[in-house]
Amino acid sequence: MPEPSLYLQAMGAAAIVSALCVLVLAGVRRPASAARLNSACVLGLGLGLAAGYHALTWRWAWPPVHGLDRFLTIVIPAVLGIELIAGFQCVPRWVAWCLRMGLAVTTPRILLQGSVYLSGPGSDWTLWQTGAGLAVCGALLAGLWGLLGRLFERSPGVSIPLALCLTTQCAGLTVMMAGYIKGGAAAFPLAAALLATALGARLAAPRSGVPVILGIGVVGLFGLLFIGRFFGRLPTDSALAMLIAPLLCWATEAPLLRHRKPWFVGSLRLALVAIPLVVVLAVAKRNFDRDMAPLLGKDLAPTSHFQSRHRTELAMVPCPSADGHSPQLPCTRAQHTRNTSFRARPAYTARGGIVGRSDSESE
Amino acid sequence: MQRTIPVWVLKLVVGAAVCAGGKSASAADEYAYDLVHSSVSFKARHLDISWIHGRFNEVDGKFSLDRVNPSKSTFELTIKADSVDTANKARDEHLRQPDYFDTKQFPTIEFKSTSTKAIEGGYEVTGDFTMHGTTRKITFVLKGGKELEFKGTKRVGFSTELSLKRSDFGFDKNAIGLIGDEALIFIDCEGVRK
Repeated sequence: MPEPSLYLQAMGAAAIVSALCVLVLAGVRRPASAARLNSACVLGLGLGLAAGYHALTWRWAWPPVHGLDRFLTIVIPAVLGIELIAGFQCVPRWVAWCLRMGLAVTTPRILLQGSVYLSGPGSDWTLWQTGAGLAVCGALLAGLWGLLGRLFERSPGVSIPLALCLTTQCAGLTVMMAGYIKGGAAAFPLAAALLATALGARLAAPRSGVPVILGIGVVGLFGLLFIGRFFGRLPTDSALAMLIAPLLCWATEAPLLRHRKPWFVGSLRLALVAIPLVVVLAVAKRNFDRDMAPLLGKDLAPTSHFQSRHRTELAMVPCPSADGHSPQLPCTRAQHTRNTSFRARPAYTARGGIVGRSDSESE
Repeated sequence: MQRTIPVWVLKLVVGAAVCAGGKSASAADEYAYDLVHSSVSFKARHLDISWIHGRFNEVDGKFSLDRVNPSKSTFELTIKADSVDTANKARDEHLRQPDYFDTKQFPTIEFKSTSTKAIEGGYEVTGDFTMHGTTRKITFVLKGGKELEFKGTKRVGFSTELSLKRSDFGFDKNAIGLIGDEALIFIDCEGVRK
């Protein structure tokens, strides 16, 4: 069962720990050097995520057995490690990018380890499909990381981390609505830690971009969507739409927009990224209401042709006024039942039972 | 010529002796799980007020019964977790997800006996039960064992009921809410002699 209060606690814990870490470590001596700021952000993100998942009361076994466990215990620490190394001045940029691309290519393989997609002769995929699938997924992650990294270098600021936070949060909700509750819940501490670290870094060093925030944001988003797609029931089109949504930030690099004020560019980026996310969330909500809501005891979908037909008929009936005379606009089922309670026509309750029988029938 | 004849004669004799000896040494009969006349079903509490029933449609297994020395009897069962069926498509899809069976990561539920003891009316079987990537030793009473020959094929039937806690098998404790932790499993199987 989704537990919103627990998720809020986890987000709060992740955000507070991350922000405090960054502000204390990077803000002691201002201005903070790029390497020190980066190290502070690595530590802030790591501790923030640990605090967030601890608040969710998650425990992991080693070696990890699930895709989500592998994501949180192998992939995320690997990103933090790579970005810690990449943050040192002595490490050439090409070395840092080689490490990042290496991780991007191997991440899908790590996440699918031991699953039906890879293991043994009875696997869901042929060898060729496995190779192609892993290559495409690795290329998608590498491409997203590379393109957003390039944009982050051109115009560092909080808009790209904020766009990644927004997308991660929406990805979590979508994965959750697709039926994988724990997978979706993993997004909340991640988004909170990212947001707090980005804002903390902004306060500590206003003009510098911190690559680790981008790395965790991109790989975190990819990992959640990948797990939701391959282990849960997240549709491929929704996963792809959310994965490439942050790339819409590139639209502000158009000549007409590029030299606008930073707040305008940032707001425009967030608005552009939000458009596909809203569409994906709306579709996910519709699918959730259709498939999952009945399992949680909410309004039951019609289970038979009989019920379905009668529900449709009922929905088409214009709503009579309270005095029982002139018809009005179509009304809700509850209004209709209330206003027609004197009639013999049956109305169907949320659970498929019949109510609204006439007084004469009751007698 | 003088060399070749004794060699093949020797092979024939040794082969026949091995076959005969093998047959006589083992009194165990091998049976295959008959999917048509067997079922693996379960029920779990819903909101702690009622029961949800379900079954697994794809099951495979084999067992060997040694009537002379029952401790040598073995039982194996492999359930395809993806085949879970609770008569509600949406719920089945939900059960296949990582919050429950995680069928993409753990496609099968398996039981393999490690010791068998003959008791009145059946066998007491102990073995390794693997579900959701976690293996635990369980013991249950297998009732039945009556053998019957039907249209030239020997058949034997068993049934058992066992209770398992999902939390013992690594299921997410946060997902144990609406559906109770404990699940009752009912196995009724018929074996066809190989």
